[in-house]
Amino acid sequence: MRLYEVNVPAPSSLDRTTAASEDLDLVVAVMRRDRKASARLVELYADPVYAYVHHRLLPRTDLVEDLVQDVFLAVLTNLAGFRGESSLRSWVLGIARHKVEDYYRSRLREPESALDEDQQGPAEAPPDPQLDESLDRERLQDKTRRVLESLPEEYSLALLWRYWEKRSAREIAACTGRTEKAVERLLARARQRFRRRWNDA
Amino acid sequence: MPEEFLEALAGRTGPAERKAPSRLKARVYTALLAAQSPLLSLSKTPRLCVFEQVVRIAPVGERLKSGNPCRVCHARILAENLANPPIWWPNCPYTGFKSS
Repeated sequence: MRLYEVNVPAPSSLDRTTAASEDLDLVVAVMRRDRKASARLVELYADPVYAYVHHRLLPRTDLVEDLVQDVFLAVLTNLAGFRGESSLRSWVLGIARHKVEDYYRSRLREPESALDEDQQGPAEAPPDPQLDESLDRERLQDKTRRVLESLPEEYSLALLWRYWEKRSAREIAACTGRTEKAVERLLARARQRFRRRWNDA
Repeated sequence: MPEEFLEALAGRTGPAERKAPSRLKARVYTALLAAQSPLLSLSKTPRLCVFEQVVRIAPVGERLKSGNPCRVCHARILAENLANPPIWWPNCPYTGFKSS
């Protein structure tokens, strides 16, 4: 935990300069192929990258480790492009985000599968769920994970991309080669199925 | 389902604190070294583990000193396959991943 999150003031510009300088030193050392610097890179950023990828790849947690490795190899390949304009952590997580979106793109580009249950629609629309304010973050996270895991992958990825990655239907359409209307239909079906599973969970 | 519900839910369920398994860190490190080969010579590298130190002082050429001795090290194999590998060598990165 960063100290300034507890009860001390936000970092001064001097602290930020020091952090930026440490980031650049690490980048230079990795580019010099210093093995100890590479170990440091993994020590510092494997946890946040893993947490991010794990959360965004639900329900395909079996793919997380390979994707984390791909992220670090991409970091290595692109390291010369790091200018220190953001923290190294943000930059690495940006690459993780691109990798996750590559995965979404590849899966959602595939022809739409026949999901009969949703095309027929429920006899009666279930009530809108309420976000229970009393549920703590951990229980909410757990319920969300369970519901997303229970959906067809196409639906869970569409919802993750739209709501957790905050991409518009138009952006998703542009990335996947689908029309915006098709993405909106997919999202509507995914929301409907999510609602049903959320109410049942 | 109102979109606001999913937007609020996403806002409250970002990635949780989660530690990467140490064997994954070991695998990633090995992959990075393989991609970077040849590495900076051990003669110019600080904080060597005992096995790297042996290679550093051995009468071998730069090609070996710029190689990756971890490739043939038991510590790497244990670290890549066990959750809590029985390795304690100072300055060994694979040992370091256990506690990072």
